[in-house]
Amino acid sequence: MGEPVVEVHQLCKRYGERTVVDHVDLEIAAGEIVGLLGSNGAGKTTTVECISGLRRPDAGSVRVLGLDPQVDGSTLRTLVGSQLQDSALPDRLRVAEAIELFRDPRIQGSRAAVDGLLVAFGLAEHRRRAFSALSGGQRQRLFLVLALLNRPRLVILDELTQGLDPAARRDVWDAIRSLRDGGTTVLLVTHYMDEAEALCDRVAVMHGGRVLDVGTPARLVDRHAPWATVRFDMTAGGVPIDCLRAVEGVSYVRQAGAQVEVRGDRQMIAHLCCALVRGGEVPADLSVVMPDLEEAVIALLAGSDERALEPTGGAR
Amino acid sequence: MSAIVKLVRTELRLVLREPLVLAFVFAFPIITVLVIAGSFGADDAHSFANVDPSQWYVASYLAVVIAAVGLVMVPVHLAGYRERGVLRRFAAAGFPRWSFAAAELIVGVTLTLVASVVLLLVASAAYGLPPIDSPVTTVAGVVLGAVAFTSVGLLLGALMPNARAAQGVGLLAFFPSFLLGGGGPPPDAMSSTLRHVANVLPLTHVTRAIRQPWLGLGSGMGDLAVVGAVLVVSAFGWRRAIRL
Repeated sequence: MGEPVVEVHQLCKRYGERTVVDHVDLEIAAGEIVGLLGSNGAGKTTTVECISGLRRPDAGSVRVLGLDPQVDGSTLRTLVGSQLQDSALPDRLRVAEAIELFRDPRIQGSRAAVDGLLVAFGLAEHRRRAFSALSGGQRQRLFLVLALLNRPRLVILDELTQGLDPAARRDVWDAIRSLRDGGTTVLLVTHYMDEAEALCDRVAVMHGGRVLDVGTPARLVDRHAPWATVRFDMTAGGVPIDCLRAVEGVSYVRQAGAQVEVRGDRQMIAHLCCALVRGGEVPADLSVVMPDLEEAVIALLAGSDERALEPTGGAR
Repeated sequence: MSAIVKLVRTELRLVLREPLVLAFVFAFPIITVLVIAGSFGADDAHSFANVDPSQWYVASYLAVVIAAVGLVMVPVHLAGYRERGVLRRFAAAGFPRWSFAAAELIVGVTLTLVASVVLLLVASAAYGLPPIDSPVTTVAGVVLGAVAFTSVGLLLGALMPNARAAQGVGLLAFFPSFLLGGGGPPPDAMSSTLRHVANVLPLTHVTRAIRQPWLGLGSGMGDLAVVGAVLVVSAFGWRRAIRL
């Protein structure tokens, strides 16, 4: 891992009596794309706002590039680019004016870089258009341009692709990947699991203000959704269903007409295939379905809720 | 270029694109002063401290501009920005939390002064410009009144939950202030109850702080002190109340 860009230690934030962020630890290394996932009200946005310096933590510490966002906000201004949820620009502000407002003229070559960004995000021909006249996708792309204007070392993107059509989402994904390739660190808050799986080096799953788990998407899937599903059509004379149930690692077998679905742990796939070969017939339509990050996160959140409901209480 | 200069430049451009601002800050005072200053003849001077009514109103209407900026434009603008998340975006981009309020203060005062000049140009063409008895005190009244009412506007904008509420409360504060505090009938034409109400309105003191030294009706220093107190209290209030 590279040097830490974001270091969050035991962060707590309360609104009145409600604890929104509860002893969160998070470290992001240089050049990483880290995703923050979780249901609504999990504390993702508040965590990001504390990292951005918009909210003062009640307890714990936040360091961004070794600086305290509450104290060194003006220094961090050009080092961090933010695109925050539920934020907007003045309706009558034009694209070119927004760029002039947010651009740091001290950064050499920034004007040429801005032109490149506008072209890359399809906004070059909309420089004189007011913010209110932009479509939802154009607004999101403008926010991304504004976040990248000053060549920041850390970019914070909160629900960036919400409301974008699939093609626009893919364009934004490509832009985020090219950021990472250029060495920029990205903190991505998203509800879209496919987005996190496609982009993030690591993912932190939050629930009830706590980080439940952190890891690569593949590692989270291994930990929280360690199963596989095999489907095939069983013709007459194939392996009997009871034999399939006896295969090592199988947790259940379901048959609907000719369609058979077998579920179990990952090793079950090999054992099942052996059993099918031994039975003399390997179905031509056999397919293996591996769980994705979405299933892993749902399982993790469901497990967290169940633990919280246990009589002994506590999510931990 | 500092954050404040950038914000001021941008905000000045934006407020001049706002129909509400153009209507309330520029058109409304001009139209009403042209109508009301022409509604009385020289024979009515006894109700106007023996001053020509048109001159009385020309000297009074700068306060109407000040009230339009402070009670309508600034609160709606600030509350709308907070409601829509514009303040969050500015803060996330590294603009210090106080910089928007400071920029708004500068924009409010600048706009007041520009609109006042436009008003005086139009009014002087129609009715002539009354001679200024004490220019320094008069200018002090205009500037302090503009700063104080913009500050009141920031306080209202910080307290109101959204732009619609700010507009409602702002208009509710503006019209009584306008009618009783300088733009309506002269105090001598009011009932004693209305005179008492007028005397507690901050705009009445702004109007007097400008009109008295301008027309030579008094020093206006007492009113200037009240306006200064309004500034201190409102500035203390919005510094505590302003949020993203």
